[in-house]
Amino acid sequence: MAATAPSAEAAAQLLFPPNVQYNASRLYTIKFLSSCFAGAVAGVLGLENTLGFALFILSTLFTSGCVFIKCKSRPAKYVPGGWWELVNPGTENIFSFVLVWTLFYDLE
Amino acid sequence: VSLYLDPQIRDWVLFPITVVMILVGVLRHYVVLLLQSPPKKQPRNAVREQRALVRSQILRATSAHSPLPPSYYKAVSQYLSQAFADGTYLKDGPPKADAPASAPPNPLTDPNAMEGMMAGMKTQMVMMVPQMVIMGWINFFFQGFVLIKLPFPLTLGFKSMLQRGVETPDMDVRWVSSLSWYFLNFFGLNGLYRLILGGENSADSSRDMTSPFAAAAAAAPQPGQAQDYNKLFKAERDNLEFSEGLHTWIAHDVESRILRKYAGVPPNADDETGDGMVVKGTPARRDVSALFSQT
Repeated sequence: MAATAPSAEAAAQLLFPPNVQYNASRLYTIKFLSSCFAGAVAGVLGLENTLGFALFILSTLFTSGCVFIKCKSRPAKYVPGGWWELVNPGTENIFSFVLVWTLFYDLE
Repeated sequence: VSLYLDPQIRDWVLFPITVVMILVGVLRHYVVLLLQSPPKKQPRNAVREQRALVRSQILRATSAHSPLPPSYYKAVSQYLSQAFADGTYLKDGPPKADAPASAPPNPLTDPNAMEGMMAGMKTQMVMMVPQMVIMGWINFFFQGFVLIKLPFPLTLGFKSMLQRGVETPDMDVRWVSSLSWYFLNFFGLNGLYRLILGGENSADSSRDMTSPFAAAAAAAPQPGQAQDYNKLFKAERDNLEFSEGLHTWIAHDVESRILRKYAGVPPNADDETGDGMVVKGTPARRDVSALFSQT
């Protein structure tokens, strides 16, 4: 029986690396695709600067809410780093959002 | 105030640049993969000495919450300690008493280290060359006109970079030339590469940003020569001793803990953290393991 308050390294020892990796890559894919779609939506709607970024933040929150529900309200069980790891979109996804936004903005 | 752009600009510039960049990224990834020479096969003794070190490190890594009972742990630990002292794992056999301490080979002349550095530099060149080529191609063919309107505003400082070739001092910074579309693609396609090429792809431009010396330094520490391993083994012996003192079996005192948790035995007064475990060495006043002793 492990101690009820495990130290950080004991907790890390209990994680199964292939599962952690799988979860992390799935989460990354979800974030990337949602930022691309958010970019498309922002572009099609013709949103300008602040509104566009507001949409990005909104879509990030919505995506993390969906993943949170999928995690059965216990993100710490599925993703090391807890809820911040879920919400944080990552710098690469911001650039992808801007790229797709610009693309669709110019396609009318 | 809005410029009306020919839709042919969109068809013949916007999409081709993006498609070309995606394809070049994929090409880069595969070229790097093909250029990587397979690691040189090492003789059994050399592999054995590296693995011995790794084995003791693995043993030490979980010593504070170890799944191994004390008898097993101490047996392995002491065997390894003795083997390191005797040098039984060393590549050339136990060191002779009169062998002079040879200096580690000079990285510039040792062929092994050279190969490592060359591999790193080759990767860097493959990364950088396509970027230069594409930038040159864009500057040559797609110059002198405005391509797209950015949905967000930028400061005037960006005007010189993003509107190169279009010499209008008054135009809004939001109208940009094709080079800026190149930059947007450069940063934004990393996620796409990760999606199609998997996590460890070589087309990722965010990795190019790290210094080329970091890559060379990562490739540089080659497996040391026999003398270096001797020193490593000696250091590892000290680490092993330290970890042995730290060793705690996670199933220590587990019978008492189970009884306390499930059979309603009153909690141990010496248990300070409330987790059911008493640190070994502390005399337990209401120790239920007396139930199991014969006398």
